[in-house]
Amino acid sequence: MKIYLGLLEGSLPHQTRLFSALDGKLIDLTLAYSAYLAQGQEARTNAYELAAYYIPSTLAGFLEHGEQSLKALEEAVSFSSKSGVDEMRGPGGEKVAYDPTEIRILPPLQKPEKSFVIGFSDRARVEAIPRAEIPSGFYKLPQTFVTSGAPIVLPRFSEEVDADACLAIVIGKAGRRILPAQAWDHVAGVTLLIDITARDINRREGLTTNNLLGKNFPSSTSLGPAMLLKPPRKDLEAIEVELSIDGSVKQKFTLRDCVFTIEQIIARWSILGIKPGDFFAIGGSLTLQNDRLQSPVPLKAGFNLRCFSPAIGELSHPIVSSGGIHR
Amino acid sequence: MKLVTFVYQHQERVGAVDDTGDIVDLARAYAGYLREAEGKPHADQLAAAILGRDMIEFLQRGERSLEAARKALTYAKTKRNNDNGGIVFNRQQIRLMAPVPRPGALISAGKNFSDHVAEMASKKGPVAPVAFLKLPGTVIGPEDDIPHPPEVKNLDYEVELAVIIGKPCIEVSEKEALEYVVGYSAFNDISARDIIRSENKTGIHLMGKSFPGFAPMGPYLVTKDEIPDPQNLKVKLSVNGEVRQDSNLGYMIFNIHAMIAYWSQMGLNPGDVLTTGTPRGVAAGRKPDQTPWWLKPNDIVEAEVEKVGCLRNRIVSE
Repeated sequence: MKIYLGLLEGSLPHQTRLFSALDGKLIDLTLAYSAYLAQGQEARTNAYELAAYYIPSTLAGFLEHGEQSLKALEEAVSFSSKSGVDEMRGPGGEKVAYDPTEIRILPPLQKPEKSFVIGFSDRARVEAIPRAEIPSGFYKLPQTFVTSGAPIVLPRFSEEVDADACLAIVIGKAGRRILPAQAWDHVAGVTLLIDITARDINRREGLTTNNLLGKNFPSSTSLGPAMLLKPPRKDLEAIEVELSIDGSVKQKFTLRDCVFTIEQIIARWSILGIKPGDFFAIGGSLTLQNDRLQSPVPLKAGFNLRCFSPAIGELSHPIVSSGGIHR
Repeated sequence: MKLVTFVYQHQERVGAVDDTGDIVDLARAYAGYLREAEGKPHADQLAAAILGRDMIEFLQRGERSLEAARKALTYAKTKRNNDNGGIVFNRQQIRLMAPVPRPGALISAGKNFSDHVAEMASKKGPVAPVAFLKLPGTVIGPEDDIPHPPEVKNLDYEVELAVIIGKPCIEVSEKEALEYVVGYSAFNDISARDIIRSENKTGIHLMGKSFPGFAPMGPYLVTKDEIPDPQNLKVKLSVNGEVRQDSNLGYMIFNIHAMIAYWSQMGLNPGDVLTTGTPRGVAAGRKPDQTPWWLKPNDIVEAEVEKVGCLRNRIVSE
């Protein structure tokens, strides 16, 4: 099951909603759950309010309720499925199912406290340098987030911008100093992330052990399009992610290519405390071509950048120069 | 004007300090003004729309919310001796948070004072501004406790000035940089030196600067009209009354204008915070033995920036 964060055409910026895909439509989960509560066997008169509590307007808020919200989600979807997507209506006759073109999809997580990319996580990369003992990470500012369809703007200050595909592990349960054996319980799902880097700036910043401007500029993080609720661990490890530029595949990996396990990463970074909606993105940091390692391909205006995973969906972006965007 | 974020009865509110040092709840006071002086219906709703619901929303509204805040302060003077309906509070009734409790970005300069670069035995000063991101969730209030994590052996302090951005700011010049600043606050960049040393191997500083509570800020956001020359302010830090850092922002390598111009390349927003870096006197720079200066539970750390304010935080074992 995948959960999208989106805005109905014509609604106000803060009126975000959660959706799931069903029979080619996106269903408004809060309204679908209202319908279940009002019309189903429960026949609750406070259906709207209860539904808005358990399926609120943000994914992080949804995850905070843990099991109860997951149960609500299940009931909302199975009720919609039983009623039939086309006939499905809210308690007051509201429209519940939308054509995907009617919804503007947003990055599923808007303001996580910890939005980290785990450095040197690609096995090939680590074999080329001394092997790291602990999973290090860097922080991507939420203000850099975009999602599929948005242009990625090449910053004026860099001559060398490239992209890495990542699989972001989304946290669903708060905790601190979590032991590896308990870490899996804290995972809610996964989504895709593209980490855009101004490599020339990043190299210079590396000399003074900082990692800021080269990784954080407008549209330097693509996130989405949906969060896939966590499958069994072995299925998660089999999820394939690929990055392509103008249709040619540049990176391809699964979590089995990562030198660190999800458990090691959560154990390490939960020292600082983790919350629902935080994520740790793991990815391929070198480009594979004909099974040989290549330097990342610099992005140029006019390219199309795509990150795809059959299980999660795709992030697709036109690359534009900063001159192409009116500020 | 001195703006604050405070908590009263579990609610976070935006306030300002009046002539007597009391705190005025701006939304309540401005609603009172709108109701009584302008006869507006639904004054609470209008006040919230004009002032925003938190400090970042307040700052996003720019000069209009500042103007409303000035009117609210004047109105609150007339309410001092009455049953004031929760408009004016004394400091004992409330808890101060950091003025911007959750900045969008918290950008902290490193290696930005020549005396500090020397004491840390760095080879040379930087060629471009150096900074790292502290996690916004590390921000705490001016009198909150700083937890000493059990993972950390070498806990250190760094007094700095926090520069608070008031307008969206992309690729601005040094000359115009201060136009994008709304005001200033005192800041203490708490650092776990042993964790940072271990992070040096992988090249990225993150954990050593971002344990919970590692960013005390406040007590006020002092608007820039009260600080005509931010580049000439004394900064001072003491531990249990013993002065450790005593310098002036005049010694910055990249000054405030240069920092804003450089970091505006990443796009800055209202409520983003840039901190200046710290001068000499940190525990890690003590010669020959650093041990006596590492922070330990029950130490009181006071970080003060002239004309801007003083932070007073106790170290507590976690």
